[in-house]
Amino acid sequence: MTADAVPVRSRGVISLVEENCTVCMLCARECPDWCIHIEGHTVTHPADEVHRRPRTENVLDRFAIDFSLCLYCGICIEVCPFDALHWSPEHSYAGGSIAELTHERGRLAGWEATAPQPADRDA
Amino acid sequence: MSGIVDAVRAALGDDTVAVVAGLGPVSAEVPASAWAAALEAAKAAGATYADFLTAWDELDAGIVVVAHVSTPDAADHVLLRTRVPSDDPVLDTSIGVYRGLAWHERETHDFFGVRFAGHEPLEPLLIQPELGLHPLRKDVVLASRAARPWPGEKEPGAEAAPARRGGRRRTAPLGVPDGWVQGEEGGA
Repeated sequence: MTADAVPVRSRGVISLVEENCTVCMLCARECPDWCIHIEGHTVTHPADEVHRRPRTENVLDRFAIDFSLCLYCGICIEVCPFDALHWSPEHSYAGGSIAELTHERGRLAGWEATAPQPADRDA
Repeated sequence: MSGIVDAVRAALGDDTVAVVAGLGPVSAEVPASAWAAALEAAKAAGATYADFLTAWDELDAGIVVVAHVSTPDAADHVLLRTRVPSDDPVLDTSIGVYRGLAWHERETHDFFGVRFAGHEPLEPLLIQPELGLHPLRKDVVLASRAARPWPGEKEPGAEAAPARRGGRRRTAPLGVPDGWVQGEEGGA
């Protein structure tokens, strides 16, 4: 660890794996200070030969975390049933305005590359 | 047991002081009318150092005011506490005994509205009096909770639409008392 590095398990920022998110809203509802904003819509797949009934699927339209409010408690990460949220130790994201601290889905997804793999995290 | 508590009990009578043991220092609860006498007895017993005074709101059970007093070598310390009614919270000031608690009494007045008789003037410290409320009282609605929509109110797949009324029970934000959230029955 270099002098300016932080421990791998540090709570620096929260990353999003968009493919894992089912728009279930659990994280937004558990968040103690209301800093997770999720929007989605439902698409219906018609019945076909394999699926004999029409199926509905939630599609994510917006996922944003407002890090100006986030208290880094990690409840959203704990509560996610599909491991769509991870801690990353990356912490250099100060901004010039408070709006820059709201990270939309693309930026959240970008943090995923900095999130440690379980093997590294638990070493 | 604490020598300070023994001294307070000796001064006020065993029946007047309710002793509560906890993980930290012993707590001794006295009636509000005996508050100043309890502080004086604690100081006379060697607890010449008081490092904080604050309060918490127990709703119908009143507002509990607590002060931490200690011997200067920290060998013995006690939490002295008392209870005042929420609708008329008045308590004798402690600054005649522990002058350093003046700051804490101003803060406690700001946050809980407890008036300390004999502490004049009880100047506002952190809260502008024009606000007209004491924000750590539990009946005070947290403005940011009432003014902002709850992000968790949306249903999965429902585009920005609030959950249906009637039918299924609306989900409510955790930890937010009934009546705080906009649009709720009886809400702000």
